[in-house]
Amino acid sequence: MATIVLAFPGSVAWAEQPKEVRIATVAHYNGSRPSFIGSAAVIEKQGWLREELKKRGIRLVWVPVAPQSVGATINESFANHSIDFAGYGDLPSIILNAGGVETRLIVPGGRGNNVYLLVPPNSPAKSITDLKGKRIALHRGRPWEITFARLAEANGLKLTDFRIANLNPGAGAAALAAGNVDAFVTLSDAFPLVDKKIGRILWSTKTPGQDWKMRAELWGDKAFIEKYPDITQIVANAYVRAAHWVAQEENYPEFIRIAVVGGQDAEVVKREYADDSISWKARWNPVFDEFVTSHYRNAIYYSRKVNLIRNAFDESRLFEPKFVRQALKDLKLEGYWDTPAVAASTDKRGSS
Amino acid sequence: MKRILNLAGNRVFQGAVLPILLLVLWELASRQGVAYAYAFVPLGQIWQGLLELLQTGELVTNLTATLRTMLVGLLIGGTLGLAVGGMMGIFRIVDLLIGPLYHTIRQVPLLGLIPLIGLWFGNGDFSKVLIVSMAAFYPMVLNTYEGVRNVEKRYIEVATVLRFSRWQLFRRVLFPGALPSIWTGLMHALAFAWISTVGSELLFAAGPGLGGMMQNAQSISRMDIVVIGVASIGVTGLLLNAGFSRLRRYSLRWRETG
Amino acid sequence: MSIPVFRWRSPHERFLFLLSPLLVIFAWVWVSRLGLFPDQILVPPQHVWEAALGLWESGELQMHLQQSLYRLVIGFSVGALLGVAFGILIGLSNTVENACSPLFHAIRQVPTVAFIPMLILVFGVEETFKIIIVAKAAFFPVALATHDAVRGIPKAYFEVARAYRLPTWLLVWRIILPSTVPPVLTGLRISLGRSWMVLVAAELLAADSGIGQMMEMGRQMFRIDIVMVGVFVTGLIGFSLDRLFRSLEGRLVKWKHQS
Repeated sequence: MATIVLAFPGSVAWAEQPKEVRIATVAHYNGSRPSFIGSAAVIEKQGWLREELKKRGIRLVWVPVAPQSVGATINESFANHSIDFAGYGDLPSIILNAGGVETRLIVPGGRGNNVYLLVPPNSPAKSITDLKGKRIALHRGRPWEITFARLAEANGLKLTDFRIANLNPGAGAAALAAGNVDAFVTLSDAFPLVDKKIGRILWSTKTPGQDWKMRAELWGDKAFIEKYPDITQIVANAYVRAAHWVAQEENYPEFIRIAVVGGQDAEVVKREYADDSISWKARWNPVFDEFVTSHYRNAIYYSRKVNLIRNAFDESRLFEPKFVRQALKDLKLEGYWDTPAVAASTDKRGSS
Repeated sequence: MKRILNLAGNRVFQGAVLPILLLVLWELASRQGVAYAYAFVPLGQIWQGLLELLQTGELVTNLTATLRTMLVGLLIGGTLGLAVGGMMGIFRIVDLLIGPLYHTIRQVPLLGLIPLIGLWFGNGDFSKVLIVSMAAFYPMVLNTYEGVRNVEKRYIEVATVLRFSRWQLFRRVLFPGALPSIWTGLMHALAFAWISTVGSELLFAAGPGLGGMMQNAQSISRMDIVVIGVASIGVTGLLLNAGFSRLRRYSLRWRETG
Repeated sequence: MSIPVFRWRSPHERFLFLLSPLLVIFAWVWVSRLGLFPDQILVPPQHVWEAALGLWESGELQMHLQQSLYRLVIGFSVGALLGVAFGILIGLSNTVENACSPLFHAIRQVPTVAFIPMLILVFGVEETFKIIIVAKAAFFPVALATHDAVRGIPKAYFEVARAYRLPTWLLVWRIILPSTVPPVLTGLRISLGRSWMVLVAAELLAADSGIGQMMEMGRQMFRIDIVMVGVFVTGLIGFSLDRLFRSLEGRLVKWKHQS
């Protein structure tokens, strides 16, 4: 296997069509079987993608990735061509493309996931400015770094104004519990920590006007999508189809159920989506719009500024929007998401 | 008879004092408030977690996967190590050629190679087995080499007088002479293989295994499962070590009478 | 007992000594010249060299190196000293051995890396945690080697000591320490390697400085050249420490034979 990876750098080349389509996605292991979350779980549940690929004699392979090191693991897998697609974050993708391995954003993941800034329950801090000079657990190069940097910048601070401890989310939580850091930046795993009285949420991307959510979406290997545009189209259709299914209010209970099967806690998932300034439907909007473009422009600018990447580049290089356009046409969903992104009133989902 | 029983009971008792003391301290610590309970989960909760893991079969599947990675790596690395170490011990030219490279590469901390190995060979089972094989390989080479080199000169002289063939020399003199050292190497290889199996499971991406189980538990703040993971790793290691020690005694029994 | 210590041998052996490492480096240069693999997979040697120079000039490399070595020296010294003391103690006293050995062997069997999450919880992510984890890694092999060595001392020695009413400290100093030097030194050397590996792993998982952290950061930033620099530096450190200990071993064994 090793020799195969090394001997055929473009492992998919020279074949009329691939034998399998490999999509990396975040997974938990319960026993020996990985359980998937997010779009992958919905797509697998729908079964449409597997069926469509099977008709062409192609096998669908989900490649599980541990939550602790998604960015680095998927970047390495793209570099050695052991995957064709991956659902993962914005900043790792920017780092990968800056490093010379080319991937493209195929289907945007909507408005993104929330990022939470936790402090110990007894912390006197009232806002991020109180954390100046303090020690903060932040896994570098992960999508939420951008969010944190934007929050800092909005308050006239820089990353260097804090003592950043580069810790993965598990170690970060532990460090917060042991009182070794004064704050911890993470995703919805913040809620169990709040329940255990390890931390309280000082700030989150649910704050209206500061909804700098992190983005996780479908990326494809450039070589693959250029060689197999039709297969890529099928994959894109499956992701848009899944987004459309989730976006419908009546599927919400089922969506939660799928998340629970995937090893997530129902309450955590519900709270992640509760009290948000973004409407449920807009949250799953897969359209390439100004929101996506400006997010990446911003992220690349930031990455260059703090030396995460050596050369800045134009964000349009990352996008391949034609597949979503075609998918919306194929699924007769043109115009479905043409509604304002921000709901008139705060979405009260799950607050019951 | 009664005295022997008494002594045995006494010994078990002596050995149990420290662990029990630790458990009591642990339980006390868990009651010092919520933040403490995060690090020191109450014993009852650990027990519940254990029952849960046993019921779902999670513990068994993960343990099996970890053991498989370890044993495959140990087999591959151990065999190669035996061959390379033996060659280095017997043939000076091999020692001169491979020795420096071996001694240099051996010093690179294995777990530090994980980013490179992940990039080159993917983040799957192959990479884990590769790391474990390397971990088993190093001590095996070293101890086989030292064992062969330290076979007493006079035995070799006797063999020369007896005009042993190279194969006979190896089979009758060098191998038995080096066997105790080879066993030391194997015991080290076992320990290193076990360390690197857990280490690679912690550092590599998802996959079944105790390390992965602990990582997941950590990410959802289930400290009870982390503790169960540590304990399972310890108990399994203890059993493996006991099993191999028994094998070692069995295969070296001729030395006692010799 | 001969201990394999590398010494500079005759000129042509010295050439042979360098041959295999040189061949590997040559192969690396050659394959990356051929362009069989993209630069991101097989970083050309000159990129690694440039990255190393860059890290050196910015002072980053020295800073990380200093941090790692500091943790190693402190942690290893603490662990090894405690290990020798504990090994002698359980080697001499049956009661202590009976009381400690189940727990000792149970903890010894748990790879140090598996303790990382728990240790972080108890000691946090600061220096204490890293020093303790290095000390833990050093303690067990040293204690075990010392114990075995003490138990291996012929009974007659102890009987003679008892007959002459030798005080315990003299027994330790004159009999136990000298006769346990070679195996304990081997234990020390092995545990030094192990400590170094554990430290790098701990720094990979949780730290904000040190060589392991430099590599982890390189990995997160997809800077394989920096990762490679880390691999070389860690290897070089490990190699130097090993040679240092081997020459020490050689000297102490000589001292033992003289005394």
